[in-house]
Amino acid sequence: MAEEHKDKKHEKRRTATQAAAFITPMVKEFFKDTLRTRAEGKQKLAYTFICCHHEEILRAMDILPLWTENFAGICGAKRDAERFLQRAESLGLSRSLCTYALCGIGFDQWREELGEMPPDAPWGGQARPDFMISSGQILCDPRSKWYQASQQFMPDVPIYNIDLPYPLYDQKRDHRKVWGYYHKYIVAQLRGLVAFCEEQTSKKMDYDRLSELVDLTDRTWNLIHETYELRRAVPTPMGTGDAMNTMVPINFWMATQKAYDFFIELKKELEEKIAKGEGEVEDERYRLMWGGGLPSWFALNDFNYFNGKGASFPVETTYRSVVPLYEMDIPKTKDPIEHIAWRWLWYWTFWYEKARKRPESEPDVERLITWIEDYKIDGIVMHEAFSCRTWHVGLIWQLHQLGKIYKPIPVLTLGKDGKKEKTYRGLPSLILESDIIDITSYSEVDTRNKIDAFIETLESIRQSKAA
Amino acid sequence: MNGTAGNVLSTVERHYKDYGLRAKELGNEGKKVIGYICSFVPLEMITAAGCIPFRMRGDIHEPITKGDTLLETIVCPFIRSCFDLSVKGTYDFLSGMVIPHACDSMVRSYSVWSYSLKFPYFHFVNIPTVCNESSLEFFNAELDTFRKSLEDLVGKKITDDDLVEAIRLHNENRDKARALYEFRKEDPPLISGTEVTMVLTVGSSLPILESNALFDEVLIEIGQRKKSPLTKGPRILIDGACVDNFELVKIVEESGGNVVIDTLCNGTRDYFPHTDVGEDPVKALGRRYMEKINCPKTYRKNKTDTFEGDSTDRFGDIGAYAKEFKADGAILYVYKYCDPFGFEVPARKAYYESINVPVLHLEDVYSAGTIGQLKTRIQAFLEMIG
Repeated sequence: MAEEHKDKKHEKRRTATQAAAFITPMVKEFFKDTLRTRAEGKQKLAYTFICCHHEEILRAMDILPLWTENFAGICGAKRDAERFLQRAESLGLSRSLCTYALCGIGFDQWREELGEMPPDAPWGGQARPDFMISSGQILCDPRSKWYQASQQFMPDVPIYNIDLPYPLYDQKRDHRKVWGYYHKYIVAQLRGLVAFCEEQTSKKMDYDRLSELVDLTDRTWNLIHETYELRRAVPTPMGTGDAMNTMVPINFWMATQKAYDFFIELKKELEEKIAKGEGEVEDERYRLMWGGGLPSWFALNDFNYFNGKGASFPVETTYRSVVPLYEMDIPKTKDPIEHIAWRWLWYWTFWYEKARKRPESEPDVERLITWIEDYKIDGIVMHEAFSCRTWHVGLIWQLHQLGKIYKPIPVLTLGKDGKKEKTYRGLPSLILESDIIDITSYSEVDTRNKIDAFIETLESIRQSKAA
Repeated sequence: MNGTAGNVLSTVERHYKDYGLRAKELGNEGKKVIGYICSFVPLEMITAAGCIPFRMRGDIHEPITKGDTLLETIVCPFIRSCFDLSVKGTYDFLSGMVIPHACDSMVRSYSVWSYSLKFPYFHFVNIPTVCNESSLEFFNAELDTFRKSLEDLVGKKITDDDLVEAIRLHNENRDKARALYEFRKEDPPLISGTEVTMVLTVGSSLPILESNALFDEVLIEIGQRKKSPLTKGPRILIDGACVDNFELVKIVEESGGNVVIDTLCNGTRDYFPHTDVGEDPVKALGRRYMEKINCPKTYRKNKTDTFEGDSTDRFGDIGAYAKEFKADGAILYVYKYCDPFGFEVPARKAYYESINVPVLHLEDVYSAGTIGQLKTRIQAFLEMIG
């Protein structure tokens, strides 16, 4: 399958918004900055992961985060991950493990062996860190194991592993009964991170600055939510293809004015597009949800392919890593660390209450149901990336649960006048199979055949509804 | 379960083959049997509640079918097999199931398990990923939550005395398992690896008192052995996660080697660490399950700033076992899609090199279909070190 990719010139991807188109050059500039910073040696650099709610702490201490998943994604998007994956394999690491991590470890080992960047490293390469911040979450094993494996090749680079649990959903138990001790633990873990950063930077935390950054982050979260909610418009002004760019300010620029300003601009642009009736696609026939899974970074053009068939993506569960603060009931506190810990717990349990009200539901399923209704969704697309259990286990089951509500046959429902009427609530789904950055797992021909068949199903349902 | 003198191993074999035979009987009598699939589940708590902890097994000979309609194939193949058997009804006699925060394959599939299986009781125990004062405090609180959930299930309080007694019984069980391992120090070992696997596997399917009684009988029977069932050959350490069948061990033994020690979840990882006695029982359990179980899932800080120092801290038990049981070589056996173990392969291989123990790394998929390939690789390895 990989042969397909070698000869074909990579087609440039189109974005629906100007804001999304600006992202790539900005990320490229960020990588240049990290290399410059490394060379100057004035600021500390830390390897770390997204979705840890620790951005404010790092930025308040002038630590420059190197988002290692971002670099792996770039290697994937540039179709240049294979040589790093192979290097990781040669060390004894299985290709079945998280390929972000394999790419990162392969790159680190190569850089350390050479004492300089591997030849033609994507966007200049990933700088050597001063320290690494792992995350032993309930979310992802590789986040706890990746840097430990890299440390074999750079043992002088210390690790702080921040444990960030949250209560797992249980239909019969109220999570709020236990989250007091969860909160206490997360606060202790975050304070441990502050102490570690103070030790590494020989600076003391400025808690006033931290409070300002926490406030900025809270405002940015709300702004992102409001901006993305604009995508409910018909036709939708922005799709998931663009959101795979705008995930950058959400996940990599959080706690900066730049992220806030970016969403001010994006919101303005979406409002203008809505006013003019401009959609992601010219003639929007099908509204789809990217309902789970990380994208194949080397095949984002597939979103354009969907668009070409009249399919838009008004919403996605992936990388929408914020929920509105004003819908959380966070206890008032002047301590920014305590606030971050509450925000963490609220974020992960945001859909619990709603899920508990519907038998057989579950938070991820409840979110899908809510957004199917809010965004007027006609079908669901998911991606099963073979190397990542974190985001890709449970998707099949979620579709099973959805199938109980959105049946593929017409069902009788009570109409407004109390009379029974036939309604079509069928919601077809498509599961694409490949990987996040391992291009050898991808076949463009197979993928597009699947998309074609899915579009035919959507069209047939559309016609049945119209009949 | 009662074996009569002289034939306890055939009783063990029967219960190994018809796994869960006794637990099923007890379940039918109305006893509450609680399933688990990982060494991180605090069994003492289940025993103290008056329930029976039951280690769920997969089956490498059973193709995964129904399970794959509900759970992704990128999940650890061992977990997939356990899930497949469960949805096919093999474990319908269970009253509940406990899943710990051990690995993504367990955690991310918790909803799938808890909704697909209609057990009255399901509980998730959140095991911290790091070892320090705050994580221990958190874990103690989490153990109290587990305790309360079991109290709700059985309708009675679990007293500290109940816990102390359960800790005593489970420690006793571990002592007896350790005594079984002593027979492996002989050359050739007085007990085969296949027998050890069967005994420990069956032991983890029984109420703790019956498990202790079984181990006693086995210890007597093996103690009376005049001659080893094995011949001398390379002495092998098996390093990995949960290997709940004897096929791998059997391949080694049929190829002329002897499995003398392991680091497996249903071997030393589970059976060697004791729970401390004489202190608050919940705190003691917290320390055992968080600090003493050496699973790659738990991050332990590199205190030395050197790779060598760190690997001695993390893998020192392997070196100690290899020395104590005079291992000539090791098989590092890792399941495909296992992130916690998979990411440690280069470091473990380097550690084996540092202690001069030759190692064979095998990645497998928990299926009888690979036995032929494993045999070829293992035979070649044994020839190399033999």
